[in-house]
Amino acid sequence: MKRFPGSGISRRSFLAGSTALGAIALSGIVPSLAQEFNIADPIAPIEADGPFRWIDSGDQKAVFYKAFFKKYGEDRGIEVVYDGLPWNEINTVLPLGVRNNTAQDAFCLPLNLPPAFAVKEGWVQPLDDYIPDLAKWKEGFPAGAFLEGINEFDGKTYGLPYTSARVTSAHILFNRKYMQDAGFDPETTALDWDTFREAARKITENSKGRAYGLIMGGAQVNRWADITRTLAQMAGRACGDTSIGTGIDFRTGELVFDSDEFVGAVELLLALNADGSIFPGIMGLNAPQARALVPQGAAGMILQGPWNIPQWERENPDFDFGIAPPPAPAGTTGTYVIAGSLASSANTMFINAKAKNPQIAADVFHYLGTDQGQTDWGNVVGPSDPPIFPSAQANSTMSERSKAALAMFQAVIRIGPNPFARNPALSEVAKAYVEPTPSLAQTVQGLFTGQASGIKEQLTTLKSATNTALDAAFKAAKDAGADVSRDELVFANWQPERDYVGADYKAL
Amino acid sequence: MASSISTVPHRAGLGHRLWQSRIDYLFLVPGMVIFGLFILYPLFASQWFSLLNWSGFDANQAFVGFANYAELLQDKYFWDAFARSFIFTLSTVPAQMAVSLVFAIILNNKLLRMSALFRTLIFLPVVTPVAIIGIVMTIMLSPFNGPVNIGLLDAGLINRAIDFLGDPNLVLWTLAGIFVWKWVGVTMVYWLAALQTVPAELYEAAKLDGVKGWQVTFFIVLPMITPFAIVIALISAIGALNVFPLIQSMTQGGPYFASEVMEVYIFRNAFATLNGAVPRLGYASAAGVFFGLAIMVLTILQIFAVRYLRSREKPNGA
Repeated sequence: MKRFPGSGISRRSFLAGSTALGAIALSGIVPSLAQEFNIADPIAPIEADGPFRWIDSGDQKAVFYKAFFKKYGEDRGIEVVYDGLPWNEINTVLPLGVRNNTAQDAFCLPLNLPPAFAVKEGWVQPLDDYIPDLAKWKEGFPAGAFLEGINEFDGKTYGLPYTSARVTSAHILFNRKYMQDAGFDPETTALDWDTFREAARKITENSKGRAYGLIMGGAQVNRWADITRTLAQMAGRACGDTSIGTGIDFRTGELVFDSDEFVGAVELLLALNADGSIFPGIMGLNAPQARALVPQGAAGMILQGPWNIPQWERENPDFDFGIAPPPAPAGTTGTYVIAGSLASSANTMFINAKAKNPQIAADVFHYLGTDQGQTDWGNVVGPSDPPIFPSAQANSTMSERSKAALAMFQAVIRIGPNPFARNPALSEVAKAYVEPTPSLAQTVQGLFTGQASGIKEQLTTLKSATNTALDAAFKAAKDAGADVSRDELVFANWQPERDYVGADYKAL
Repeated sequence: MASSISTVPHRAGLGHRLWQSRIDYLFLVPGMVIFGLFILYPLFASQWFSLLNWSGFDANQAFVGFANYAELLQDKYFWDAFARSFIFTLSTVPAQMAVSLVFAIILNNKLLRMSALFRTLIFLPVVTPVAIIGIVMTIMLSPFNGPVNIGLLDAGLINRAIDFLGDPNLVLWTLAGIFVWKWVGVTMVYWLAALQTVPAELYEAAKLDGVKGWQVTFFIVLPMITPFAIVIALISAIGALNVFPLIQSMTQGGPYFASEVMEVYIFRNAFATLNGAVPRLGYASAAGVFFGLAIMVLTILQIFAVRYLRSREKPNGA
């Protein structure tokens, strides 16, 4: 029977395993966990009007909620329906549900939707009437979790910012044996762009074509932007990462796609490809498929997020892997990956303005905003969507490797300015903004495959098209009556080496 | 006189006739309701949406007339996807029809043993979920350790693994091949049905006249089933234009748009925008309506082709 070199598994085993992984991914089946939840008494009398319904984007969160809601429903004597859906389905289902008055009691917003928009359109309602002593409860959150324009509007609190956004989706996860054989130890000495490339080349060389230095989910187009932007930021080109702030250096308000750092990041990817260090066939792989191949010995490194850690530890307990920061050019110090806010906006939960069970939603929100709830959350979810309370990150039972990842994020990730926190009316600009085609992700993918050529030229074209699209969006928002200006994308007091906090917005 | 008037047949009014057949119509109601909800409403709604600047999120639906269509006409990626859809259709339909016809002719031979087993095997991919096929084929075609590449390398047919899904020059043809493999079973069933219409006497007569096997196929069977080919081609073409699940599960239209057909283009604009950009349901609807009209034109042309062929069959108007 043929065996895949290096992996020690037969082709039959590989096919069977890969197919099973794919089937599991498709079915959304997740292993059940034995988990203790310490649920306190309700914060107010609860009277259920039909089942309590909750929707979010699932993944590792689903592992928590499926176990938690079972216990919570038993404790409170209510029926709970949990839906963990992929983002494209949430983007479709939730707006329809809101319009038809069939949306869940508690929901996260569609990925593209600024909270200001949901408040203005009357989709959500404040927590103020449901959580007693709200101010005291909010004091338990780290500074910057609640921000006017993000989850507070006109003095009312709307969203539950319970997971940290201090996470990068493009740090190094590596096979320790391959890396050791290549002569590198990223856990002791972080890789720079040169050693990263050299390590990838040596891993490929050592394996004699049986494994490759680096693997990516190339068919999942957003990965190209995530990786390029992260590499450029580590090279010192700090810029925004979401919506109308993507690729903008907030110190000047200018787009930086054509900067030397972005060009260098793309050149690094192309150089790795020219070296033959990148796993062949990445264009047929999405991120989860690429992730699944690493523990099988197919590649030495992957640039992905910390969600790999609990999954590999659970499904591949014998796989010896390490983590390291995203590589930066040699000699570069004091550079950071920039996150858009302290709390993950994608995970922030809201109460439906027409919820049948708003008090139950508030009761769950309250639990998740306590030390106990945050620790329970950290115990299950780990570093994937880490709890926002630093104490919960420290006290939860996640693996040492997971805690090391969170410590690494503290060192290399900084919170940048968020335009919507400065002026919620900018959500009107986001609504009108039409991202140019090709986007950053598509441009880099095209350069990588050779369908586009001239890195500097392509990125300059992208910058020009994005500027045009932004100007058009600002004009459309102004025409619609929004009081906005492109100057509001300039945060002159931003220093990328430290978090941008509430006081900085006030100092503008 | 009065009697002569009464001999003229009296045709009942529409209302009376509807009432007379009320039970029949009652049975039609569920089907009509479903048809209205899931066919008519989306059909007309998408036409209305195509005239709006609307994300699909909010209540603000700005009427922009034909601005979306005007923008579409200048969108290079729209035309590229539009062309790819027809290239995909024009390449898969003939291949699918030819291969399935060969299968059908072979399996239509009543003397062939285990024909039912072969029919089942050929039909098996049809009932396999597209997403599963996408995953399995991605593994099969992997240039790293895919069995297809290993087989080709072992056989000495190639000296370097082929990146079937990563090479922009190959990806569409690879997807077309997988599509044909998946759906050839359905087309084979259509051909088998068509072959049942060839009278057994013709085969016997041909045999008595000493006509050889391949001559029977080319000069008797194929002319007899040619009219069916038009209908089968139409059905296959519609199928080939509905290729979204396969492409989305395997390449998502990439690399760099190389396999982006119209459905993937529409999906990308309607739902799958990147980096926090708000989707454009109105624009995507315009693309859908435009594409639907193009398919309608294709269908009408095929109807004319069917009529033309039928008229050739009956030159005397018999």
